[in-house]
Amino acid sequence: MKVVEINEVEKTYHDTEVEVRAVNGVTLSFEKGDFAVIVGPSGSGKTTLLNLIGGLDQPTAGEIIVAGHRLSELKPSELIDFRMEHVGFVFQSYNLIPVLTAAENVGFIMSLQKWPKEKRMARTGELLEAVGLADRHNSRPSQLSGGQQQRVAVARALAPRPEFILADEPTANLDSKSAETLLDIMEKLNREEEMTFIFSTHDVRVMKRARRVITLEDGKVVSDERTNHTV
Amino acid sequence: MKDRQLAWRNLWRNRKRTLITAASVFFAIFFALVMRSFQLGTYDKMYNDVIRSYSGYLQLQHPSYLDEPNLDNVFTVDPELVSRLEQDPNVEAVVPRIESFALAAAGNRTQGVMVIGVEPERESKALNIRNRIVRYKLTTGAIEALKGEDLPGRLEKNIELFTGEAFTEPKDLISVLGISKKDSAVLLPLLRNHTSFPGSYLSAGESGSVIIGNGLSDYLEAVPGDTIVLIGQGYHGTSAAGLYVVKGVVSMPNPEIDNRFVCLTLDDARWLYGAPDMATSAIIGIKDGGDKELAATQQRLGAIAGEDLAVRNWKEMNALLLNQMEADNRSGAIMIGILYLVIAFGVFGTVLMMMAERRREFGMLVSIGMRKGRLAAIVGLEMLLMGIIGMIAGVIASLPIVFLGHARPLRFTGEMARMYEDYGFDPVMPMLLPDTFYLWQMAVVLLILAVAIAFSIRKIFKMNVINALRA
Ligand SMILES: Nc1ncnc2c1ncn2[C@@H]1O[C@H](COP(=O)(O)OP(=O)(O)OP(=O)(O)O)[C@@H](O)[C@H]1O
Ligand SMILES: [Mg+2]
Repeated sequence: MKVVEINEVEKTYHDTEVEVRAVNGVTLSFEKGDFAVIVGPSGSGKTTLLNLIGGLDQPTAGEIIVAGHRLSELKPSELIDFRMEHVGFVFQSYNLIPVLTAAENVGFIMSLQKWPKEKRMARTGELLEAVGLADRHNSRPSQLSGGQQQRVAVARALAPRPEFILADEPTANLDSKSAETLLDIMEKLNREEEMTFIFSTHDVRVMKRARRVITLEDGKVVSDERTNHTV
Repeated sequence: MKDRQLAWRNLWRNRKRTLITAASVFFAIFFALVMRSFQLGTYDKMYNDVIRSYSGYLQLQHPSYLDEPNLDNVFTVDPELVSRLEQDPNVEAVVPRIESFALAAAGNRTQGVMVIGVEPERESKALNIRNRIVRYKLTTGAIEALKGEDLPGRLEKNIELFTGEAFTEPKDLISVLGISKKDSAVLLPLLRNHTSFPGSYLSAGESGSVIIGNGLSDYLEAVPGDTIVLIGQGYHGTSAAGLYVVKGVVSMPNPEIDNRFVCLTLDDARWLYGAPDMATSAIIGIKDGGDKELAATQQRLGAIAGEDLAVRNWKEMNALLLNQMEADNRSGAIMIGILYLVIAFGVFGTVLMMMAERRREFGMLVSIGMRKGRLAAIVGLEMLLMGIIGMIAGVIASLPIVFLGHARPLRFTGEMARMYEDYGFDPVMPMLLPDTFYLWQMAVVLLILAVAIAFSIRKIFKMNVINALRA
């Protein structure tokens, strides 16, 4: 089943005098359960592509369809609701709301979606357990390590069962051990919850663990390989 | 997590900054309120003093008297008109009087004075000269005598500062001298003993007596029992002169008046100025002196009085005083304006800093699905709380000062008092109790907050999520 379809997508920035074609005619699709990574040199358009898929930005040409929604047809406020309902985001850093505890952060999107309290608490507990932070319910982000913060962010993204999770360089600020732990957790959730993950990365450790590696260069897909890598 | 809980927690994430900003709002509104209360209270007192002791709320006059207040613009008092005016529901009494100038002399001193002729028993219905008779006075002699007694330390040192102060009632002695409740039982008999001052008010039908202001009494060195001479010009240029015995001394609140006040019976004044049955004005005693009711009364009475006479209100009669207060008021408003401007910049600085610091966070929140309107509401609530905490604290802190300043007005003594008196002001500054001016000051603070909040809401709505995330 296709979760994301990208057809002939282009994104051109002309903020500065020069025109930058950050994404240049990309056609791709992602299947349910994918554990895919987008790699490529700095400036190759990874972040831009992820932003387009996540509905944070609109393409200058082409079409993106997510879970039956043509993103170009959504109004800005509908896009916000679309993201809340269908996309999980994990950013490189500053993912969490500093004044909320780990548990409150995990429950945040569910409370935006007005889940009943009981269900929300149960799901929060389950996920904090899954990311190995069952004992840190009441810790504030400032009391957690970088790796622990990223794990809370993954739990938050996953909590409302989105269509897929987008993670732009989630391990960039982590040491090897924390990065490995985070990847272990994401793999486990990919398996157990059948959650689709789409990353971008520079990190070879991440590339090695992916089952699909898409390489971008100058905004174009230069290769798309499925490795029969199993965990 | 409710939005207001989130706002509350955000408020305390940078505790110092929140407190400093709230404190700046606190000090601004606190000083503005205290200052305003002082100013308005002082104006209020001046207006009241001048109304109660001198002009009254309304006067019946010859139409030209307002511009040329002299004996050529007198009118004949028609008892029938007076009784018709007195039938108005808001009128207490109509009290004719003669008001003019003369030179007063006693011993080898002379002073230009204002001479007021009133009907002693009816005067109190419009003004209140009767209740201003000086019964106690801290003359040099009285102070010498008191120093021989066993006074509390503070009073013993300071008592000379009060030289010349006059009182009508023992309780004024206690409050002006700042004597504690505890001491007053012992001190009061002593004070009454050493400071009692002779004299009494005029009685009806009495002839050849005057009451003089305390300031004039000091200047002429004339006390009850002494004789003074009045020389002036009468009706249509006749000469006016007479010899009068000082019967009592009154303490008038406005020093300008106190230093020049001479009061005699209406009949004596008519005789002195050669103007039988006439008056320069009739003071109209009013029950309700509020602005609206006063205007209505003035209108009604004006219609009864007809073309040949005019009914003037206290504002028309005291234009000079009002102008002076207006100018003072404006300079006060400018000062408060500057104060608020400084605060507005402070609040704005906080908002700018906060918005810049939290740009990424806002980008993240909108990315994961928080509507901008909701984010703006949370941020707006944070700032509103911050401002309102400061505002309410400021209002609360001002209350005890304002109530105290109203109940026990600041009273200058010594040099400072003399300076005030030289400018024609009573050296007493009572504070005005909370009134609409409180609402105004609060409205200004809320307006500043509203602008700051509008600014941040606009910023949130204009925020580009991608740029915010890259920040
Ligand atoms: N908002 C923007 N305005 C103008 N140019 C932009 C903007 N965002 C990205 N670009 C440009 O588009 C190109 C692709 O940028 P992008 O951030 O997608 O690259 P990337 O592959 O994520 O790089 P990195 O590995 O360094 O994160 C770059 O040349 C970049 O300068
Ligand atoms: Mg990038």
